[in-house]
Amino acid sequence: MGYAVVGQRVPRVDAREKVSGRALFTGDMTLPHMLVGKVLRSPYAHAQIVRIDTTKARSLPGVKAVLTFEDVPKIPWNSAGFPPSPGAILMEDQYILTDKVRYVGDGLAAVAAVDEETANRALELIEVEYEVLPALMDMEAAMAEDAPLIHAAPQNVMAHMPIVIGDVDQGFADADIVFEDTYYVPKVYQVSMEPCGVAMAAPDMDGRVTIWTSTQMPHLVRGITAHALGLSTSQVRIIKPPVGGAFGSRLGVVNEPIAALLAIKAGKPVMLKYSREESFLATESRHPIKMILKTGIKKDGTFTARQMTAYIDGGAYATHTPSFAGPVAGWFLAMYKSPNIKVDNYSVYTNSTQCGAFRGYGNPQVVFAVESQVDDIAAALGLDPLEIRLKNHPCAGEVWMWSSWVIESCGLDEGIKRASEAIGWGEKRNKQERLEYAQGNGITADSTKKRGVGMAYMMHVSGARPMLHETSAAVVKINEDGKANLIYSNSDCGQGAGTALTQVAAEELGLNYEDVFITKTADTDVAGFDIGSHASRQAYSGGNAVKKAAAAAKEKLLAMASEILEVPAADLEVAEGMIRVRQEPEREISVAEVSHKAHFGSHGHQIIGAVSEEPPGNPPVYAAQFVEVEVDTETGVIEVLKVVAAHDVGTAINPAVVEGQIEGAIQQGIGYALTEEYRYHPGTGKPLNANFTDYKILTAVDMPEVETILVEASSESGPFGAKSVGESGLVATAAAIANAVYDAVGIRIKELPLTPEKVLAALEQKGN
Amino acid sequence: MKREIVLKVNGESYQVYVSPEKMLLDVIREDLQLTGTKKGCEAGECGACTVLMDGRPVNSCMVLAFDAVGREIVTIEGVGGLEGLHPIQEALVEHGAVQCGYCTPGIVMTAKALLDSDPNPTEEEVRKALAGNLCRCTGYVKIVEAVMDVSKQISESPELREKLSQSQEFGAKTVGR
Ligand code: FES
Ligand code: FES
Repeated sequence: MGYAVVGQRVPRVDAREKVSGRALFTGDMTLPHMLVGKVLRSPYAHAQIVRIDTTKARSLPGVKAVLTFEDVPKIPWNSAGFPPSPGAILMEDQYILTDKVRYVGDGLAAVAAVDEETANRALELIEVEYEVLPALMDMEAAMAEDAPLIHAAPQNVMAHMPIVIGDVDQGFADADIVFEDTYYVPKVYQVSMEPCGVAMAAPDMDGRVTIWTSTQMPHLVRGITAHALGLSTSQVRIIKPPVGGAFGSRLGVVNEPIAALLAIKAGKPVMLKYSREESFLATESRHPIKMILKTGIKKDGTFTARQMTAYIDGGAYATHTPSFAGPVAGWFLAMYKSPNIKVDNYSVYTNSTQCGAFRGYGNPQVVFAVESQVDDIAAALGLDPLEIRLKNHPCAGEVWMWSSWVIESCGLDEGIKRASEAIGWGEKRNKQERLEYAQGNGITADSTKKRGVGMAYMMHVSGARPMLHETSAAVVKINEDGKANLIYSNSDCGQGAGTALTQVAAEELGLNYEDVFITKTADTDVAGFDIGSHASRQAYSGGNAVKKAAAAAKEKLLAMASEILEVPAADLEVAEGMIRVRQEPEREISVAEVSHKAHFGSHGHQIIGAVSEEPPGNPPVYAAQFVEVEVDTETGVIEVLKVVAAHDVGTAINPAVVEGQIEGAIQQGIGYALTEEYRYHPGTGKPLNANFTDYKILTAVDMPEVETILVEASSESGPFGAKSVGESGLVATAAAIANAVYDAVGIRIKELPLTPEKVLAALEQKGN
Repeated sequence: MKREIVLKVNGESYQVYVSPEKMLLDVIREDLQLTGTKKGCEAGECGACTVLMDGRPVNSCMVLAFDAVGREIVTIEGVGGLEGLHPIQEALVEHGAVQCGYCTPGIVMTAKALLDSDPNPTEEEVRKALAGNLCRCTGYVKIVEAVMDVSKQISESPELREKLSQSQEFGAKTVGR
């Protein structure tokens, strides 16, 4: 390798402004005459609005705009941040405000007023009469024959996606054993620390509206917002300041259309900030899914048939769901090789808040089910859990069924080897050795605390090709002092993409990291079209465009240097801002001098490289995660003692950033496994835990030791061999914990989260 | 009824007209325009709004501005700026412990209060001190490493110890506005 900037733990481009509190997030901004926006939300899970009277609210002094369904463009739209692509199934069933409420918290009116107090007062003055309908809080109720319809979809099924490869019936007939299990995973929230839903909109005199918003997808949000408002795309300008965490929650439109419409109607800037409660109530969560897995296998561990029937709870609006069913099928199909595979995915409407993206995009759900069952299969057949995975996972050179493309590189086997050693797999899985180990830790045979180790594996994407477009654009301009600007639609939400892309540009240009400046804020009026931050795509897809733009600038730079030094450009190299003749390094000229000559020499011009394109592929990444747990059989409490995460990310452009992604994702994965579940009252549909006291995410005290192992099986097509890392740390965590619990106490819980109540119930059942 | 109060923030006195229900966090962010202190829940659950009051970390969303009268308040803007970062901030940068950065000001304030009162905490004590500061990005791994690293620097460097023991002045000298 031998890279100068790539592979270095350079400090992040935005660290100093953030650590000093100087970074201005959207919610920190103000504009002269700015109004405060507020949304009136439904107290009912399902109801028709029969009368709404805003007269009193409108006449309250200080109120500058009041909107209801009457005032919004009658243009149905879909909030999901998808580019029009073969894999995007976008059912348009939303309006900016609704006349029929479909979940507790659904927005039916909005106001803009001079201050928060007045805005809140105005909301209270809006009179609404509802005709309450039955709340359909789970998929069974929603799919019942006589269930009322949430939208027009018969039996509230918004989509059905069947996929058949080979002949599963034959495959099950060929199997030595067939396993059938049902798994359920609940609704969970991304809970970025900056509440989801903060936008500031300002109309201008040219019929355009500028929206500062905390988003993952500046360009796609521009298009969807414009569509919902009845404007053309270029009439909306999106500016994305620093974002306080996203994890999928801002993967599409959140509240930009409401903010913009308020601003347009009031003729003044409007700030619309959701509270923590509102960001639970009214923004997209991860999908709950019921998965029925049927797997046929030979005694030697060869799969003969794999089948999944999944019921995906999409909540009250379609948004991502019908498209999301595609990757859900893809994760399942692609995990293990089998000649016969069948998937049946049903996407269902319920009266819960609509679901969207959350780190992993269906993969954590599927991997929990598949890896739980594979562990049971290994135990039943007396196979080594590592062997069954090593034998059946798709590998480099084989076709990955998620994309139907050949896998470029695979570091899984090395990852499994190193991670299993790090956790002490051999000793701890061996019953006798484990007993001794336990005694060494003061745990006797009759202790109520039992330890176990478990593992799970996963594969994930580097973008969403060929299902979705993955366009990125970059412009690199070399200034007269030899330093460079990288103009990019920087949709970094904290993951460090802006830093990694700066490193890619610096490496390719031969400049020092400190001498390349990326646009920290994305601005759709400035940067070229970019899909945004989804599908762990920034390093790979964004990196591809940035590297090529830098290469284009470098080519021009070297062409000019070749004239000055009178040697062919092919004989030149550039490093640390100096251009040298490769064979005679003492013949050199600085990038600054060449660039200065370009600007102010005989043909004044700036050296600029520009690229807009899609990346060549979508190399999958692999991870093997191992955990050790301690289960208290008296209280049912599971404590995670250690997580070892071996990730094949391709080349790690910045190892500290990569580790940070894995460590943070593991915190979310442990929460998914043990504590996180967003709950509704089954009768009324009222949320029960829309706050941090009742929706528990892990604190610094709760986090176990985390050891990350980076396996760098570089890709052929990625920038300097990079693949991805953004989502993968979360994906296999819950499954690995469930498998460790099984190892510790022999109980198999097929429903997340693994609460003490479920543990105790399972222990009791096992005892009987 | 709004009333005039005087708040001492980052060593400077500010006269503000505020209603008795207004929280210190909102006064800091809106009236003083010190927006480094963040709002994550307004319910005392997340620590994003942590400031120091007489050297102790408090959730400023739970403190009435009126109750902060007469207290020494330090916000993130008082801890480090263009003149230089506090060693805790430097360590967070060096260790890659900042991701989205929304929790970071609160983390800095809590860590500062901890190290001011106990420059050599155990890892467990660091974790306990930070338990009220939620972070959704980092898994706390590099944050804890960074704080432990500063503690080590303090024990190894008498000058640093000296500098930090006058931490109030450190705050006062680097007022944001
Ligand atoms: S905003 Fe004060 S604790 Fe969350
Ligand atoms: S860095 Fe994002 S919440 Fe801590």
